[in-house]
Amino acid sequence: MVGVAGVLLFSALAAAQGNAPRSPWKYYPEDARANEGPGGPAPVRDLSGTWAGESSGAGVQRLVRPESPPPLTALGKQLFDLNVAEGTGVTVAETNDPHVRYCDPFGFPRNMNDQIRSMTIATGPGRTFVMLKFMNIWREIWTDGRALPTNVGGRGPDAHDPTYNGYSVGRWEDDYTFVVETTGTAPETWATETGYPHSAEARVTERFHRTSKNDLTATTTMDDPKLYTRQVAMGEVHFRWIPSQTFFDFSCVPSSVQRYLDEMADPAGDPNAAQ
Amino acid sequence: MMVLLAGLATIASPSFAHHGATAFNMTEPVELKGAVVTEFVWINPHPLIKADYTDEQGNVQHWTMEMGSTVSVQLLGWTRTTVQPGDVVTLYVWQAKTGKPVGRFNKVDLADGTTMRDSQTGADDGGRADTGLRQ
Repeated sequence: MVGVAGVLLFSALAAAQGNAPRSPWKYYPEDARANEGPGGPAPVRDLSGTWAGESSGAGVQRLVRPESPPPLTALGKQLFDLNVAEGTGVTVAETNDPHVRYCDPFGFPRNMNDQIRSMTIATGPGRTFVMLKFMNIWREIWTDGRALPTNVGGRGPDAHDPTYNGYSVGRWEDDYTFVVETTGTAPETWATETGYPHSAEARVTERFHRTSKNDLTATTTMDDPKLYTRQVAMGEVHFRWIPSQTFFDFSCVPSSVQRYLDEMADPAGDPNAAQ
Repeated sequence: MMVLLAGLATIASPSFAHHGATAFNMTEPVELKGAVVTEFVWINPHPLIKADYTDEQGNVQHWTMEMGSTVSVQLLGWTRTTVQPGDVVTLYVWQAKTGKPVGRFNKVDLADGTTMRDSQTGADDGGRADTGLRQ
């Protein structure tokens, strides 16, 4: 029954979209859907291009979600208990997720495991950039052989301040696997949408593995001994090549979020909220 | 065959939303027949449709409803002018459990007979309406 509804719905949508002239400035669902199959072998040491992720509307499925519950230390549990994530039984009006309520940046690693829409990877001499459509984020990954900084979040003239996306270095493990290590991410951000924390000293390892022209997988782990008793599996996300290479903007505008909360989400989730 | 597979995918695909549906009664959408659109707010995280609905007793209810993000509903053909103030339409909305006239948009029947749906909850059973577009 549901399948039949889906068929009817798909037919209606296809008919509706078929009437409009095609624009090179738009990202159409069929861009990703038309790219069925591997599309040929993966190019050697090349991730460059624009990719569709799980929440792109292109039908890309996540492979593995972050481990839950992860093995928290006592301090980790104490921090986790402060975070009230939206989800089953918790509305937008009730969460204290700083992104949902205030438009605060996700920060890394959450921006690589939540709202995975589209991603562009650009490579230049000594650096690779990972850019994310959701919230218009860029991450800078150095490939010039430097080591990760030490004394992140500490005191003194040699200390490095934590940042939303941290400090990242990358290297090719083989011709199709690019490994990125990151530390120094702002500890006030959440590691996952479910509210699990991380410290500034967390060390996150991502393995970007390209298996074909059209398929790219990112597998992530996190080592954060202050907050977790062992390495945490942060999941595995899948990306598909977008033929048009179009990369939409998706900003978070604080005034828009405030209006959404005032006029919609808070009255919906809180019986005492004004409308 | 491809269309059939797309339909079957409706059953199998998980439903990941930006903001979830915890606040809404997802069993039966409220029908607002002859509602008059007062504003279409094209913003993220969710565009808002605002409309006045006159009930059987003649009382005017001022409704607000959210839909999928601008980038998500654009894939279903929505633009910032799909509905405009003054449009007389029939709206279907999953009302908030608080009982207030706010909710999650399901679909709209426009005056020209076109039906436009939400991305996340636009199917008649409250499931995704863009699933058929997925791989």
